[in-house]
Amino acid sequence: MMKPIKGWGMVLGLAGLLMGLAANGAVAPDQWEQPAAALAEQIAGILGPGQARLTIRNNSSIATGEIPAIRRLLEQDLKAHGVMASGEESANAIRVTLSENLRERLWVAEIVEGNETRVAMVHVERETTVTSVTPDQIVLRNERIFTSQSNYPILAAIETNSGIIVLYPEKIITYVLNSTGSREQDRFAIPDRQTRKRDPRGVLLSADRGRYFTAIVPGVECTGTYSIPADPNAAYADGSAHCHDSDDPWPIADPGSPNGGPKIKAFYNAARNYFTGVVTPSLGVDLPPFYTAALLPRPDGAGLLINGIDGKVQLVENGALKTVAGTRDWGSDFAALHSGCGAGTQITASGSGEAVTDSLRAYELPALEAVPASAPLSMDGTVTALWSAPDGKSVFAIVRKAAGQGKPDSYEVDRVTANCN
Amino acid sequence: MLRRIVISWLLAAMALHAVAHTRPHYGGTLRIEIEGDPWQRPDGLARRLVLDGLTAMSPDGSVQPALAVEWKSENDDHRWQFRLRAGVHFHDGTGLNAGNVVAALTAICGAGCPWTSVRAVGSSVVFLGDAPLPNLPQLLAEDEFRIALSGAERSTAPAGSIGTGPFQFASLSNGVLTLAANESCWQGRPFLDSLEIHPHRSIRDQWLDLSVGRADLVEVPAEQLRQGHEQRLNLVVSTPISLLALTVSDSGALGNPNLRAAIALAVDRSALSNVIFQKQGEITASLLPAEVTGYSFLFSTERDLNKAHELRGGVSPPTLTLVAEAGPVMQLAAQRIALNLHDAGFTVQVANAGAPQHVDLTLKRITLESSEPGPALESVMRRAGLATPVLEQKPAGLYKVERETLDTRIVIPLLYLPRAYGVGGRVRDLRLGFDGTPQLDGVSLEDEP
Repeated sequence: MMKPIKGWGMVLGLAGLLMGLAANGAVAPDQWEQPAAALAEQIAGILGPGQARLTIRNNSSIATGEIPAIRRLLEQDLKAHGVMASGEESANAIRVTLSENLRERLWVAEIVEGNETRVAMVHVERETTVTSVTPDQIVLRNERIFTSQSNYPILAAIETNSGIIVLYPEKIITYVLNSTGSREQDRFAIPDRQTRKRDPRGVLLSADRGRYFTAIVPGVECTGTYSIPADPNAAYADGSAHCHDSDDPWPIADPGSPNGGPKIKAFYNAARNYFTGVVTPSLGVDLPPFYTAALLPRPDGAGLLINGIDGKVQLVENGALKTVAGTRDWGSDFAALHSGCGAGTQITASGSGEAVTDSLRAYELPALEAVPASAPLSMDGTVTALWSAPDGKSVFAIVRKAAGQGKPDSYEVDRVTANCN
Repeated sequence: MLRRIVISWLLAAMALHAVAHTRPHYGGTLRIEIEGDPWQRPDGLARRLVLDGLTAMSPDGSVQPALAVEWKSENDDHRWQFRLRAGVHFHDGTGLNAGNVVAALTAICGAGCPWTSVRAVGSSVVFLGDAPLPNLPQLLAEDEFRIALSGAERSTAPAGSIGTGPFQFASLSNGVLTLAANESCWQGRPFLDSLEIHPHRSIRDQWLDLSVGRADLVEVPAEQLRQGHEQRLNLVVSTPISLLALTVSDSGALGNPNLRAAIALAVDRSALSNVIFQKQGEITASLLPAEVTGYSFLFSTERDLNKAHELRGGVSPPTLTLVAEAGPVMQLAAQRIALNLHDAGFTVQVANAGAPQHVDLTLKRITLESSEPGPALESVMRRAGLATPVLEQKPAGLYKVERETLDTRIVIPLLYLPRAYGVGGRVRDLRLGFDGTPQLDGVSLEDEP
């Protein structure tokens, strides 16, 4: 049930291994002291004072370079209990196996005295591993700003002055962000008006850097305030949220972006995962059902780019619906990015297919053909939502990271910006 | 020339059709072919799609809310109260309430339930046990405790097929079972409109239908995984999750524990794995895999014929009867085991399942239902016929329970095997649950919506 480490995980794993090898002969990390002491105590309790041969087998993901240090710790602790682990001639043997399961490490000692073998074991909490992604021309850069500690899907998020507001299907949580990660500060429940969704979606809008926010999920709209605490270490923020049933259309097409154009809203099909095609104000043409929309500056004003549920990308411009070519590699999520490079605004689109590692790529639409404007940016997971930041100068992405067969997914919020080449 | 034009036209048509999207879209019918019966218990595919439990197993094998949203235990796990999810309806529109949950559970196990009594208290279901029930939430996630609406015989649906799951019975025609999306499913409407399940199809026919596009999902037995790779099937394979075990009667000729111990030492697991299961299994002498406990290496898998002879002590027991659960591979495995035991001085006759005579040895498969060691051990032991609650939760205590259980030689673990499926090109987002079954409620198709 273990999943092989891939990509950057492999690089980091190798780095860890090299560090472990370099540490050969050094002092064992503090984390091994407690389990070594506990195991030695159990062994001594079974064996009593005397001599025994000590062998150690590593069946776990602990780096080989750490084993000598663990051995030294065990020898010291056994000695403290009167058991000398250097007795090569001794009839007694202590076989220690460093093992692990899906949840924790397990150190097992088989204590052999003549024909009798008894067993002692201690369990050790697993340390978590950290992975990262790297930026890669226009050059898109990726910065992870939040990682969920739970496997609940993240639908949307907005940054505040000191942290982040995160929208989940059934709750809104505010977090303070600091150098070590995130700390939950306040949470607001969203009434369970609707059944769960297979591909849950939502919108989170803010004003005044998160001081006021509006969260929309199928069937419910919540408005809230969030006061940034004077003391960043305060346990609770002074916030509130009020939710009510709502079938109102959802704001789409990057409201608040600097691209100009009308504020467009679209009716969302609460029983599905797409917009019905009915938008307000009317654009003078019937739209097909679509997943995603983005507003783009065009020579004659603004155009609304939509991604239909049939996979076609179309541009609504001057009351006409036109098919955009060159979008075969696009996934169903895209957002406008006002980079200031090239034409000024690009479309950032997720990749198509079922890749475990998704990508984002910037495109320009000089006519009715999408032209790549950047190299693909690897996203270390599947992009499940993408929207423009309020100033339009970056886009935010929700990335679902598959933990492997039989394990729940995790989610993170990434900010993607562009540098002009 | 004409041929070239046609090919170009086809390629162009394919390119036009190759529109991209990553968000799953709604619609379409998934065609599944299976060897067994979709309603069989446990693990019938249709049961899993139509019925929910009070609890469910998450992808990592831990218990999570399903029809019950929360639960608590009192009186040292002798009393459990499960509060039901509000607003859930059975497929026929009947509201889910504590009364119909109690009726369903009573219909499932009657007097043979793991609990002493179950009753409705408001919107909760209360279980009482003479013995502690520390693993009840995990137990209730198992297939056999899924909730079907009792007393719905007037319905056109087969008995026990009206549930609250993502799909509902639609029709059974010419042996093909059709399930339709439950539009008001509490978990959200599935992406697929319907499923067609073609039961009792041989593996050979399943693979043929997959290759010509007549099926979207077919079975790949562990012993044919290598062949599946060679035929370049698109495979989805679980971790080794299905325990192949020999259960041994402790009455009759094998009431002598030394004879049972001799049998345990005589079985050649390596030969079973290499020859019968084509090296696709993990040899084990423990009830739970290493990934769940971390200590399975403490149970030796070595064959020791000398010791087996020694334990038999010259005793020649009467001919033993070995029965294997259904399936030709299980029969082959049983015959192999009979040869192993012959090497140790036993005479073994392999009989068909359902044979009326006394059965000494049974070869069975037990699916691991949980990744939590305590509940997993209790579940495996119960399915092996050892209905003992496992009160321990810590590794040392669980090891002791497992050691004591295996020392009785009433159950002899042999191999852990994976589950695998061949998947058609238009199927998206197919994942397997912790127990290796396909999670079809999250699947979508590349069809036009």
